Amino acid sequence: MHPPAIRTEHLTKRYGSLLALDDLDLTVDAGEVFGFLGPNGAGKSTTIRLLLGLARPTAGQAWIFGTAAAEVATAHQRIAYVPADVTLWPQLTGAEILELLGSTGPGVDVAYRDELVARFALDLSKPGRAYSTGNRQKVALVAAFATRAPLLVLDEPTAGLDPLMEREFRRAVVEARDAGRTVFLSSHQLAEVEAVCDRVGILRSGRLVDVATMPELRRLHRTEVLVRFAGPVPELTGVEGIDGIQVDGAALRFTLTGPPGPALRALAAADVTTLTMREPTLEEIFLDYYGEGSR
Amino acid sequence: MTPVGAGDRGTATAAVTRLALRQVRRPALVVSAVAAGTTAVVVAGYESTAGTALDAAALAALAENPAVRTLFGEPFALDTPGGFTVWRTGTVLAVLLSVWGVLATTRVTRGEEESGRWDLLLAGRLAVPAVLGRHLAVLAAAVVIAGAATGVVLVAAGTPPGGALRYAAGLVLVALFAVSTALLTAQVMPTRAGASGSALAVLGVGLLARMVGDGVAALGWLRWLSPYGLLALIRPYHDDRLLPLLVLAGAALLVGAAAMALAGRRDVRAGLVAAPAGRPPRKWLLGTVEGFAVRRMLRPLAGWSTGIGAYFLLIGLLATSMTRFLSDNPRFAELAAQAGFTELGSVRGYSASLFVLLAVPVGVFAASRLAEFVAAETDGRLTSLYAQPVSRNRLLTAETLATLAGVAVLLTVAATATWLGAYLVDAPLPLAAALAGTWNVLPVVLLCLGAAILALGWLPRATAAVGVLPAIGGFLLQVLADSADLPGWVAAISPFTHLAAVPAESPGRAALKIMIGIAVVAAVLGRLGHRRRDLLG
Repeated sequence: MHPPAIRTEHLTKRYGSLLALDDLDLTVDAGEVFGFLGPNGAGKSTTIRLLLGLARPTAGQAWIFGTAAAEVATAHQRIAYVPADVTLWPQLTGAEILELLGSTGPGVDVAYRDELVARFALDLSKPGRAYSTGNRQKVALVAAFATRAPLLVLDEPTAGLDPLMEREFRRAVVEARDAGRTVFLSSHQLAEVEAVCDRVGILRSGRLVDVATMPELRRLHRTEVLVRFAGPVPELTGVEGIDGIQVDGAALRFTLTGPPGPALRALAAADVTTLTMREPTLEEIFLDYYGEGSR
Repeated sequence: MTPVGAGDRGTATAAVTRLALRQVRRPALVVSAVAAGTTAVVVAGYESTAGTALDAAALAALAENPAVRTLFGEPFALDTPGGFTVWRTGTVLAVLLSVWGVLATTRVTRGEEESGRWDLLLAGRLAVPAVLGRHLAVLAAAVVIAGAATGVVLVAAGTPPGGALRYAAGLVLVALFAVSTALLTAQVMPTRAGASGSALAVLGVGLLARMVGDGVAALGWLRWLSPYGLLALIRPYHDDRLLPLLVLAGAALLVGAAAMALAGRRDVRAGLVAAPAGRPPRKWLLGTVEGFAVRRMLRPLAGWSTGIGAYFLLIGLLATSMTRFLSDNPRFAELAAQAGFTELGSVRGYSASLFVLLAVPVGVFAASRLAEFVAAETDGRLTSLYAQPVSRNRLLTAETLATLAGVAVLLTVAATATWLGAYLVDAPLPLAAALAGTWNVLPVVLLCLGAAILALGWLPRATAAVGVLPAIGGFLLQVLADSADLPGWVAAISPFTHLAAVPAESPGRAALKIMIGIAVVAAVLGRLGHRRRDLLG
């Protein structure tokens, strides 16, 4: 049995009186793409700094492929990291930064790196100070994806990228998964997580609220159904799984939880002209966690 | 524009002025306090040292010696407290104020701009020239306060107000010239570092022109081209000349006006000289963290080597005329001995007393390297290296070793430059003796490095301040203890008290071992703290 890519036990971090991360127990298996969702200030970056040994936990422990996170010389042999806010050495050009990170890191696939440089349309001759936010991020992304490290830790990596580059980023994540690598993707961009992740952990005010696979996460929540009828509108009150019925002339709007069998049987007798079922976006699921009550 | 808009503009100007004030006020107060304090100590100590000891013949000998003139400027009115104070402290304070003026100007203008903090500011109602104008006004006020404080101290000490006024005005104008020059280079050069460097180079050439002009009679006119030379030409308390003051004022005004005129013609975050848009990669020393630590140090090391090398070359060149002067004028040798400089009459004694001073710049260099390491950690440049399979200990060791190599280079450069200068004037100073003399200060430099590492581990934001403490604090403490007759244990705290005058004497091995031991303990504790703490940024 291989050790999980990331494992934390009671991982806790306090900054003075502020509890930045509270008792985090998390396991990310090797080979999965794990989304780490939460609003700003939820503790995502704190968690990542603890995983990388950049900050020391107040309590608890973290392991990277079975190695304690504090033993960075060993643990980092298997990690490539892209910080949320990339700062480059202002005098070094992009090529020099890739050279530095490549030769001090866990090994580089040079051919793949050259391919990524082309795909991300990165000009490597510019000095670090001349890069825009998005280009700084691209340098860090190319450096990370081109390593041979089996775990990629990405902290909000697409904040400064344009849509074309975001598409390239998603392709690179899929390629990493296909190559058997693990990706830990912190984000507050739901579409991104929805597009690439297998499982999602949701963090709120330093606490892990939920961990679910994408299908589970969606199943937990209601499907919105809109039915239009040619004849009379049937009575659906009391049918299993149906809730929030609104009648609007010849149209019926309701939400459906759980298996759709009973609802479909109830509709079978009526003269249905259109039936629209809409999956809630992760955005809406997300808002269920954060929308009500205080953040 | 509506009346409301006009009101907003006034508010905006006031807000920018307050911003500039906040960034300048604390260092400005420190610089003013140092200028006024140094002046007060020297003018108050005049009666007890020089006042009674100097006769007319000795003064004449002093004024004629080219070495004395080169190092300290042309002496005049030494028989008055004011004239003596101006001679002793004038150049030093002018250099202090002008170098601070340059660094503060580039920091609060181009530095803020490069960091992106001005983007929001300049998106408002005020354009670049208006914002720069407010900062110029605040910086000018800061140097006026420093100069005024110095003048007030001199008047309070009973020196003639006319001389004090001209001297203070001269100091202010030299600093204003430096501020204007930095503002101008900040419009022209592509980066903040380039702006600071070229403005400091202008000051350096000015200082050199003053030294040559004072030392070589035929080149005396050079002083009219140098801010420091013009300050000396005022001859406060003696001639109280006005013309050099007017020239200084004109130069400062002209350069300042040019800077303001150019400010509107450039892009924000860029100078008139464009930075190269790209270049082929230079991959040397990027293979290991140790190599990279060396690579990052090379450029600053070249600057420090140039400065220290030029100064000690001059020390070597002056060796014969200085020692001959002191052996011909025993009265001065006695005075120097009272101030802690013994055996100045021999080349070895003379160079030994100056080699001791080397501990200050080299110690500051060591502390500055570790402070830069913390700065890179704070702003996130080091994050990508801390995320590599490299332990924190190894990164800090790499930085420490690179700094030690830099220290070795500086000590060797100083020795070689002194030897070369002495060789050129046929002064008896073998290279081995010069090397023994400069390397003798290594323990003080190691104390600086150890203190900086200790702070880096436990109080990282204080790395620079704690790191320079053994050198600057120790030096000032020794000077104070010597001149104010403090109890022996106070002087014993200063590492300088324990440095032997090598190559005139042999090095004190026990003291060296103790100092190195303290430095190593501090460094080990610092490494422990660095390994355990959270990284900044």
